[in-house]
Amino acid sequence: MSKDPHRIVTGEEFGWKTEPLPYKSIPELFRLRVKELGDATMMRQKELGIWRSYTWNEVHAIVEEIGAGLVSLGFEPGEVASVLANTCREWVWCDLAVQSVGGVCNGIYPTDAAKQVEYLCSDSRSVYLLVEDDEQLDKYLEIAEHLPQVRRVIVFDMDGLANFHDERVISLDQLRELGRLHLKQRPQLIQERSNARDPGEVAVLVYTSGTTGKPKGAMISQNNIIAVLSGLSTTLYEGVERGGERIAFLPLCHIAERLIGAFIPLERGSVVNFVENPETVFENLREVRPHLFFAVPRVWEKIYSQVSIGLSEADKMQKLAYGWALHVGSEYAKCTLERRDPPAPLRWRYWLARTLVLENVKRMIGMDRVEVGLTGAAPISPELIRWYMALGIPLREGWGMTETTGGGTQTPRYGLKPGSIGRPGPGLQMRIAEGSNEILLRGPNVILGYLNLPEKTAETIDADGWLHTGDVGHVDDDGYFYITDRMKDIIITAGGKNITPSELENELKFSPYITDAVVVGDKRPYLVVLIMIDQENVEKFAQDHDIPFSNYASLTQTREVQDLIQKELERVNAKFARVEQIKKFYLLQTQLTAEDEELTPTMKLKRKLVEKKYAEAIEAMYR
Amino acid sequence: MSVVGSGAGEVILALANVESAYGPIKAIRGVSLKVRRGEIATVLGSNGAGKSTILKTISGIIDPSRGTVTYKGENITGLDPSQIVRMGLSHVPEGREVFPLLSVRDNLLMGAYTRNDRDAVARDMETAYTYFPILKERAAQDAGLLSGGQQQMLAISRAMMAAPELMLLDEPSLGLSPKLTRDIFEIVVRINRERGTTMLLVEQNANMALNVADHGYVLESGRIVMDDSCAVLREAEDIKEFYLGKKDTGVRGERRWKKKKTWR
Repeated sequence: MSKDPHRIVTGEEFGWKTEPLPYKSIPELFRLRVKELGDATMMRQKELGIWRSYTWNEVHAIVEEIGAGLVSLGFEPGEVASVLANTCREWVWCDLAVQSVGGVCNGIYPTDAAKQVEYLCSDSRSVYLLVEDDEQLDKYLEIAEHLPQVRRVIVFDMDGLANFHDERVISLDQLRELGRLHLKQRPQLIQERSNARDPGEVAVLVYTSGTTGKPKGAMISQNNIIAVLSGLSTTLYEGVERGGERIAFLPLCHIAERLIGAFIPLERGSVVNFVENPETVFENLREVRPHLFFAVPRVWEKIYSQVSIGLSEADKMQKLAYGWALHVGSEYAKCTLERRDPPAPLRWRYWLARTLVLENVKRMIGMDRVEVGLTGAAPISPELIRWYMALGIPLREGWGMTETTGGGTQTPRYGLKPGSIGRPGPGLQMRIAEGSNEILLRGPNVILGYLNLPEKTAETIDADGWLHTGDVGHVDDDGYFYITDRMKDIIITAGGKNITPSELENELKFSPYITDAVVVGDKRPYLVVLIMIDQENVEKFAQDHDIPFSNYASLTQTREVQDLIQKELERVNAKFARVEQIKKFYLLQTQLTAEDEELTPTMKLKRKLVEKKYAEAIEAMYR
Repeated sequence: MSVVGSGAGEVILALANVESAYGPIKAIRGVSLKVRRGEIATVLGSNGAGKSTILKTISGIIDPSRGTVTYKGENITGLDPSQIVRMGLSHVPEGREVFPLLSVRDNLLMGAYTRNDRDAVARDMETAYTYFPILKERAAQDAGLLSGGQQQMLAISRAMMAAPELMLLDEPSLGLSPKLTRDIFEIVVRINRERGTTMLLVEQNANMALNVADHGYVLESGRIVMDDSCAVLREAEDIKEFYLGKKDTGVRGERRWKKKKTWR
């Protein structure tokens, strides 16, 4: 008999357990690790082509200086400091420093425009702003008069600012100098300050990207963060040794990288490597060869398409070998998925495939040491997971959101079901709401609420503590959850058919030629789709097939590229029912970057915005 | 591809997916562009973008590893430079490359090497002298003794002596004073207007090039990223910032950091 589809599912049902942790906050955890690991490397950052290392002791000294520096300027417990920087060492230093002196740390996306910076600073009532360089500083200067509550701005990198003098602005070095002086007078300062606040109070602010309306500031407490950390060793890190290398490149203002690039390495004692800049991720990946690699689906897709494009230039023998090895790899992965012991001949063939081909492919993409591959923040195509599994990279999916401090479900190391987001982590309860089929979650990782928005908070977290996630899905008898779509994204066509656009979109995105897609069709006679092409791969296609093009727009307009996408569309349509067929498509003609309003900082198209902005192109598809 | 371009006539030159390499280094990675009869087209790009390589590929000095060059409807990919010159396409190379030990007059005659119509050659020589009177004054002097600007004048005149329908100009402003640059560009425009010679101009001096040309392409690491009429290009944000040096200096009054190029 099948189980109740609306029952409460917990992580403990599968033997996942929370472990008691010997600390109550991130600053406490940091000090503990400094004591244990001392002169071992804590982080690296590539600077002018050389990886510069920092030991735990060094970072500890820096963090105390920054913290004391802020206090000497008048930073009070519970006040907010905002960091406006790309993912870099200083980001983490400042985060630790602010938390260590009882402050609240908020992150602002470095791609945000001045206007957004103004909103986030005012809404969070930031009194200090820690900025990366002159570029970010200029954003502040543009809006400085609207931010009277900001007392000082601290700049990490003063290059290009030699002639700039403004009493509101000091360099990070100056701040550290102030901190050093202050520490001489009050050596116990950090210790005293660290107990200034209760771990149940807000410690971190994370603004949700807000595809509609203004971003909302999620208030996260130390208890929330610790709740997530306490469930790690039996789930994500099951059977994985402590330590290891990590590579951080996603924005640290996003809860996912904040956890995986900053907080979790503290717990696990692993080395974090910060990339040079967002464009060098793949190169840095090959240099670092991380043990755990976390990326959004877009990056996993990019790596996959690099391999497949690279393969198209290989000779016949290599192609055959790759095809064979991948086939063996997928058979082997299938056994793992079904938790069967692979038969001896398969084991032998797999060994051969690995030695001859698969290990080389993994080395080529810098993943030969990866023990845990993790994807999250957006849906991923099951086919992509199968491909990585066949290569021998266990790609696991995690689902969480800002409102759950990033914690949520996790696909288990063994018994992974592609297409599912996995099972609830330990300490959590999850269920599917009756009627709406919305996924609900309750646990110690659920945020305190949204800053300044008590009504929105009450709408999202109900009186019984259930967080309404906005994701619609179902749970199977084994306790695996599946997301079908975002609640507000579901399309009801004019014919009355309910369609979950993300299923179609994910299939489309699996094509190496398609980066992102937005399916439209609410109250319309049929479905259409807006597509963002993968520039590199489509350019290569055009060049290989002698299709003349000049700029990006002309590339999207060529007959052959239109045909190519049409073929990809037909491939996807073949997998779906007749009512779910996408009839027409439109290729976006501008190449979008993270600075553009159409994309979220994790480079996903914002559905509502894109639908509005390209309304004319959409209308044209219904004519 | 855009079809803008003032006075747009038939396409006289078309490159389709041209790739050229120096050994293992690909200098141009798939360039497609069109030049219409009677217009001045320009290719802008920074050092090493592949501008000169495009011209060398067109005039046959380099054979492309891929793609086709079509001139007056004929496929001239991989043809010998001497054949291409005979079809009415001359190349004014970067750094002038005049024959230093020949007189100015002989340099000009070298330009007319492929022609047999003596009277017409003599007429063209006179025209060259009216464009650049200084060359007439120095007609008997060795070309190596000319100043840089005069050598550039000579190089352009020499190319003109082949009576080309299409002239490729590789950075005529290189190493010249602003005044000389202006003078030379004035003549380039006159040659285009008076003789109807189509021009494909490669320049780092974007300001000059965008003012004289009708249609422009922007080349960035071997690929074309912008393709539009010069009137439009002059107003494009990225062109202003990266090529014309006009930028919004922000609140501080000085800005060092660069915006991200989007080429829109």
